[in-house]
Amino acid sequence: MKNIRIWFKKDFECRYISHLDLNRCMLRALHKSKIPVWHTEGFNPHPFATFPLPLSLGFRGVNECMDVKIEDNNYSYEDIISKLNICLPRGIQVFKVTEPVMKAGKIAFADFSIKIGDNRTSSHIVYKQLEELLSHEKIEIEKKSKKGLKTIDIKQGIKDFKISEMFDYVQLDIILSAGSADNVNPNLIISALEKYFDVCYEVDITRNNLYNSDMELFE
Amino acid sequence: MVSKDVEKLLLKVQKPGRYVGGELNEVIKNKKNIDVRFAFCFPDTYEVGMSHLGMKILYSQFNSIPYIWCERVFAPWIDMEEEMIKHNIPLYALESGDPVSEFDFIGFTLQYELSFTNMLNMLKLSNVPIKSRDRQELKQIVVAGGPCACNPEPVADFVDLFFIGEGEEVDLEVIELFRQCRNEGKTKQEFLELCSQIEGVYVPSLYDIEYNDDGTLNRIISKGSAPAVIHKRLMKNMDESYYPDNFVVPLVEIVHDRAVQEIFRGCIRGCRFCQAGFIYRPVREKSPETINAQCKALCKNTGYDEVSLSSLSSSDYSQIVSLLEKLNEWSKDEKVSISLPSLRVDGFTDDIMNKIKTVRKSGLTFAPEAGSQRMRDVINKNVQEDELLNTCATAFEGGWTSVKLYFMIGLPTETLDDVAAIAALGQSVVDTYYKCPNKPKGKSVKVTVSASSFVPKPFTPFQWEPQDTIPQLHDKQLHIKESITTRKIQFNYHDADTSFLEAVFARGDRKLCKVLELACQRGFHFDGWNDCFNLEKWLELFDECGIDPGFYANRRRSFDEVLPWDHIDYGVTKEYLIKECQKAYKNTTTPHCRLKCNNCGAAKYGEGVCFEKHQNMV
Repeated sequence: MKNIRIWFKKDFECRYISHLDLNRCMLRALHKSKIPVWHTEGFNPHPFATFPLPLSLGFRGVNECMDVKIEDNNYSYEDIISKLNICLPRGIQVFKVTEPVMKAGKIAFADFSIKIGDNRTSSHIVYKQLEELLSHEKIEIEKKSKKGLKTIDIKQGIKDFKISEMFDYVQLDIILSAGSADNVNPNLIISALEKYFDVCYEVDITRNNLYNSDMELFE
Repeated sequence: MVSKDVEKLLLKVQKPGRYVGGELNEVIKNKKNIDVRFAFCFPDTYEVGMSHLGMKILYSQFNSIPYIWCERVFAPWIDMEEEMIKHNIPLYALESGDPVSEFDFIGFTLQYELSFTNMLNMLKLSNVPIKSRDRQELKQIVVAGGPCACNPEPVADFVDLFFIGEGEEVDLEVIELFRQCRNEGKTKQEFLELCSQIEGVYVPSLYDIEYNDDGTLNRIISKGSAPAVIHKRLMKNMDESYYPDNFVVPLVEIVHDRAVQEIFRGCIRGCRFCQAGFIYRPVREKSPETINAQCKALCKNTGYDEVSLSSLSSSDYSQIVSLLEKLNEWSKDEKVSISLPSLRVDGFTDDIMNKIKTVRKSGLTFAPEAGSQRMRDVINKNVQEDELLNTCATAFEGGWTSVKLYFMIGLPTETLDDVAAIAALGQSVVDTYYKCPNKPKGKSVKVTVSASSFVPKPFTPFQWEPQDTIPQLHDKQLHIKESITTRKIQFNYHDADTSFLEAVFARGDRKLCKVLELACQRGFHFDGWNDCFNLEKWLELFDECGIDPGFYANRRRSFDEVLPWDHIDYGVTKEYLIKECQKAYKNTTTPHCRLKCNNCGAAKYGEGVCFEKHQNMV
């Protein structure tokens, strides 16, 4: 028995399903594929899978991962990829299987590419607004939590960013705190932008990679 | 497939996964190779519609024909509907993303009366004229089937043709005829007239209705060559009937998120309130071998780890134990669990319990339907109180601690004493638990008592009965509440307002079309949902149209009145229904089909239970 990390993309229609639905979808695919994954031993055995860092509904994910235990140590990774892909919808496709190097708890940062804009506002204006927003000492925003609304400063969670003005949108490449401790959802940056400038843009968010606290790629 | 315009809306609405398609096993075809495009519309949300077995069967079957592309359409929930209207996006089909208005057929399945407004609203959202006569060309043919098509009159102005009975054969005959008619350049009118010659097709525009001064029907006149009586279609051999080996597997969780395996159609029992028990006669079973093979294929192709055996009364399957044995041979190794819904009180034996217990311990639900023995005899439930208590004892000894009991109130001849008996029966179940020597240690019992309101339906022995008025139903609900003295019983009841509207449309006639048309104009939708349903607003509509809804719901009809569905034949004769109704008044029961043939008329199909060999047959 050994742990493996299954890497996949989440895009197209499947961008619009929640983490819970993704989990269900994966369990069904694992079940259908007949790959010898370890099952829970309760009353209703099901494949045991964990996700190092869930992805928000609506985001594209190009380097997402899921951890499972496999009962046959010599089972070919190529087979896992091809068997799972037959059982998955086209919006979720596996491209790599590895042995986990880092534990999920090591995740500290994630980098995102965010396209912002709409057909009413020139991308230069959006560029300027973003530049101004991100130059503030503090970016305070109200966040809904289980205990009600609380104000947090998301500037603390921005590790690095780059703004690029494109023809009909602005691209924000940004590295944010991620993981179980100080997670900053990029939607909060957009909320802040909308609140500061009283605007409403179309956004398209892609999560690229995860990193540990030393900015080493999560593997 | 979703268009760019739709994508812009998706992050503004709840559960966007229901508007995107792209599921495993959805059928995508190349439009170049397609002659007929069929939009299969379910007039409710994605989660409800995707749970419906009939749609899964027909979707796969239509798509098995190379020249047809059948796609799915569901009613967008109110937040999405609002966004679509605001951004001028017409209703689209999930597979191609193309607008519904571009389809040759727009087909609806009518599962419950309160979805009528959703059907009209979906046409409206598609920018398709809602009335049949405003759609002149040979395209956008609006068709409908399902149990509510047995009295199609309240929606007769909107639907071009109805499928009466089971759709597997007749639907394809109509689609093929359409293809021919279009190749020959025929008009829609010519097409509809030809359709009316196919058995099981009802074209409402080919019938005129004459009324009496008191508002009842005088006669139903067929025009031209349309048949005077439309006979239902049914599948004679269930083993040879089409059944999908594959379901579309939803990305988001739906109401019944599992594989569903049909085991038989019809019901031997003949409970007098139950429409399904009459319109699907006679009982036709699949063989255990067929069921076993189909179950295996479904699990293999979908990845579901749960199969539900579907029928009107699973324990009446003649070889239920050997079927479960067959399924258990592989289900455990495959980590698949088998669930058996619709168990009768008298069908829950030790043997069955042990076989389903091996997989999943879900809640247990029984439907005694009435509290007193007299009432259960009136409705022909054929269940005795001690049978229920013994069954509950079996379940408690098997480790269950909660039971749900379903009842109906407002049944014909019912008194307040009969209603109080519901609470008393709940109490007896609680007492049974504490009398059980082997009950689970240290656990309390929970008995859920649910009471829905009786809605008289066409093609049942109670089709002439008045429904209790809303105040009468409220009195009865209150009476049960006051008769319950223990906190171990949880009492739920169904909203009487919705049952009233259901009763109006269930036995309505064509005069109701104008109420529905007005409802559509006013933006009525999702009347089956508490979020949207408002009886006050409906009463205003009836008032504006000069129609008394009580005429349909609360009036006792005489046996010789012409009923709005008299020109439709589901196999069971009117004489039989009258005889059953009269037996009900005398508290007399009727034995089920396997004990004795009661000559209901369904034997004319020459198949099914009517021709099984029975040891007890007299």
